[in-house]
Amino acid sequence: MATEAVDPQLRKTGIGVVGDVPWGSHFFMFYETKEDLLDTLVPYFKAGLESGELCLWVVTEPLTEEEAWNALRQGVPEFEHYVADRSIEILGGRRFYLCGNDLDLERAIRTWAEKTDYAVTHGYAGLRVSASTAWLEGKDWKAFSDYEKEVNSSISRWRMTALCTYPLAGSTAAEILDVTRSHQFAIARRNRGWEVVETSELKQAKSEIKRLNDELERRVMERTQQLAAANEAMRKEMIERQHAEEALLQAQVELARVTRALDMGELVVTIAHEVNQPLTAIVTNGNFCLRRLEGVTPNLDELRPAMAEIVSDGTRASAVISRIRRLLMKGALRRTELDINRIIQDVSVLLRTELTRGRVSLRTDLAPGLPRVAGDQVQLQQVLINLIMNAVEAMRLPAQRPRKLLIRSAKSTDGVLVQVQDSGPGIEPGLADRIFEPFFTTKAEGIGMGLSISHSIIESHGGHLSLTSSSEGALFEFVLPVTPYD
Amino acid sequence: MTEPASIVFVVDDDPSVRRAIKRLVESVGLHVELFGSAAEFIDSSHPDVASCLVLDIRLPGISGLDFQRELVQAKNGIPIIFITAHGDIPMTVRAMKAGAVEFLTKPFRDQDLLDAIQVGLERDRVRRQRQAETATLRERLESLTPREREILPLVVSGLLNKQVAGEIGATEATAKVHRSEIMRKMGASSLADLVRMSEKIGIAVPETHRP
Repeated sequence: MATEAVDPQLRKTGIGVVGDVPWGSHFFMFYETKEDLLDTLVPYFKAGLESGELCLWVVTEPLTEEEAWNALRQGVPEFEHYVADRSIEILGGRRFYLCGNDLDLERAIRTWAEKTDYAVTHGYAGLRVSASTAWLEGKDWKAFSDYEKEVNSSISRWRMTALCTYPLAGSTAAEILDVTRSHQFAIARRNRGWEVVETSELKQAKSEIKRLNDELERRVMERTQQLAAANEAMRKEMIERQHAEEALLQAQVELARVTRALDMGELVVTIAHEVNQPLTAIVTNGNFCLRRLEGVTPNLDELRPAMAEIVSDGTRASAVISRIRRLLMKGALRRTELDINRIIQDVSVLLRTELTRGRVSLRTDLAPGLPRVAGDQVQLQQVLINLIMNAVEAMRLPAQRPRKLLIRSAKSTDGVLVQVQDSGPGIEPGLADRIFEPFFTTKAEGIGMGLSISHSIIESHGGHLSLTSSSEGALFEFVLPVTPYD
Repeated sequence: MTEPASIVFVVDDDPSVRRAIKRLVESVGLHVELFGSAAEFIDSSHPDVASCLVLDIRLPGISGLDFQRELVQAKNGIPIIFITAHGDIPMTVRAMKAGAVEFLTKPFRDQDLLDAIQVGLERDRVRRQRQAETATLRERLESLTPREREILPLVVSGLLNKQVAGEIGATEATAKVHRSEIMRKMGASSLADLVRMSEKIGIAVPETHRP
């Protein structure tokens, strides 16, 4: 038995006043004449055949089976095809419902189920039925009425439509009420036309469906609003997250800056302490020698040990510096294969705020597919941060020209070339030679270690940091070898 | 070996710095003694001559500033000249408040150090002289009889012999004898001289007898 959910697809009834109905429709008509029957049932079956349905017409008087055949043959184009492929079947009412003289309604129900099953499994859209009850005798009315109720409650699960015809003549009011109760709706002849008469259950069902529809619509609206609210919340969250990310980046830049300053600050204290002792001895010994030399006949034997100590303390001071530098270099000997473009991009992002604050426009010109270099990521980042920050500071001077910073990477014969070029005032030619010396600075607040350390870092990577300066700005560049070294 | 007229003590953990300072200070004719830490200085003997201490702030063991505090607590008033590689303002203020002569940042100008040493030695000389004077006066005070020690505050408060006699219940003549004996024993040439001496050794003048 085909008990699957009823196809929502609507079926044409062929009866103008009824229009389309869903599968599972069970309706009836009271007829007075043979014409009433043909008037509705011929277009009903014509529509069924043309919609690919299996049709079953159970006829009784006043209509004969032959009249039914003829009426269809006249009313349905190419009817013989439907007859040939057995899409239409016409049965006598008594034969269908009666076994001998007894009503066999179980068989009737079984037939509907089997026929529907057959229709569905043999390529038909479903089953279309019309049955007549003129043969029904009063004693069987009760049983038939119960049967109709059962059909009415089962039919909603079947791919089946059924139009039952009852003779109006001779039907008692009670019988009419029974019929009305056991069907979904009726069609009736009124003023020479046909009308649909809805039963109160159908009206109730329809209003229930309307209520459910309204409810559904309300819930859809509600859900839509909830979704919109959720979307809005998500959008806000995304904005918040974006803000948080920006704040994080800001904090990272600040951290990098503070770390740099802290490193430098600690370095200064260490240097001050370690270098000041020999310097104090040198200055004091030097002063002693000068005082002695002012005398008429200086005692050279007295001067010699002081001079010797000046030399040894000078050497000691220089050793302190080398030791500090070695310490700095040794800080992190973590060499990995690095993508220099990636480092440039990272540092650019890191310093974005600093660049914006200095009103510097950054342009990067990075050669694609550069070979990787072996190096310490943090140290190379330090070098780039140093060069970029120096450039930003150099361009802060009130010279009225665009503040442009260009970072380039390119392949060179020796390895990978990186250039940092600013549009600042450049470096005086006389100072260019000294710019990489420790403690040399052109900045009021500088301590003169940044470029010296950068220089050392690049050299420890087997490369070379150099400066080309003109009135157009300063260009620092370094080359890092591609092949691993050590 | 004859004792030098003054001694400059230098405490610095760096031998090069110590030797250079010794050379410089000796070149102006002063005697110098060197130490690597505060403990070494404490353990050494200090002749009773004008002296001053050139003290590094950063030392192994106790720091120069803490050592200064210990000396002040021990009522050792030796003048101190601080030398440091990284002096900051709070440090300087603390040292100067505790009585330091000078606070020099390394490397210092040679003349600044020598000037500070001269100031320190002069201050110590005055301090020692004052200490010596006080010691002498205390010895003289000890030589007075109990009766004379009772009368001394009355005399320096400006009372006449007749008034002193009234206070101690004796004749004016007896009071006069006591007064001349006090003046002789204390080595005072006048009443004004005796008043100054009394102030130095802290003789309390009775409130009721203030003129």
